[in-house]
Amino acid sequence: MTLIRYTYPVARSLTSFARSPWAGLENEMDRLFQSSLGDFTGSAPTRRVPVDLYEDKDNTYVRAELPGINRADINIELVDGYLNLHAARKTKVGEREDTVALARSVSVPDAAVQADKISATYENGVLTVTLPKREETKPRKVTVTVK
Amino acid sequence: MSLISSLVPSLNRTPTSKAGSQPASDLGPILKPRHELNETADGFALTVYLPGVSHSGLELQADAETLTVIGRRTWKQPEAWTTLYRESDDATYELVLSHENVVDLDKIQAELRDGVLRVALAKTEAVKPRKITVT
Repeated sequence: MTLIRYTYPVARSLTSFARSPWAGLENEMDRLFQSSLGDFTGSAPTRRVPVDLYEDKDNTYVRAELPGINRADINIELVDGYLNLHAARKTKVGEREDTVALARSVSVPDAAVQADKISATYENGVLTVTLPKREETKPRKVTVTVK
Repeated sequence: MSLISSLVPSLNRTPTSKAGSQPASDLGPILKPRHELNETADGFALTVYLPGVSHSGLELQADAETLTVIGRRTWKQPEAWTTLYRESDDATYELVLSHENVVDLDKIQAELRDGVLRVALAKTEAVKPRKITVT
């Protein structure tokens, strides 16, 4: 009779692991943790941006507090009746650069704004967006000549 | 180890320092600004978010015990503007940090840009770590 030394498994063989009935569950668990924790570790946190709304007879004004942002990193869009403000605050910490993303949407009645004439200024960390009101459509008088 | 601790200004002030500094009633409503404090190798880096505050509205005071930041908003709502909705505050920013005398008052550097105040506070020589050679 010959004795054969038992070899302790050091690493799990990939082939046997794939065949295991639990393989699917383990993969699923890994995926779950990655997707749920990804938001905390991966992307920069998005914080709330305080917004004020004002109006006068010609314009509507949106003022948003966005301290410490380069003008190039501010994005303003008017999409489907919403004014979307996106900003990225970049801070240099030693050699690496930290980025904080800030976003805010404000509902703006699409029909009341001249979308092509929107302007914005940024001063002392406050963004002011000026939305010119559309001129009231004047009643038109049409004369039809009867032949 | 955090040597500078931020405390509620009214609780932190001793009666004597209260008499010396500006009374809170002069400032009107007060808001504590969002801020970050990080310790660096030779000091502390303080970042205070003061949206709406320009150079003229900013006051930075340092004495033996505390560092005080006061930020007044310079923007005034034009008369023709009607308020539709507000989320921000008109209150003056005030931040008082006690530094327990570990900061070199002569070496404070501050910069205000786009509503963010960055203050570099250098540690005094006495609290800097010193290497001692053992013979």
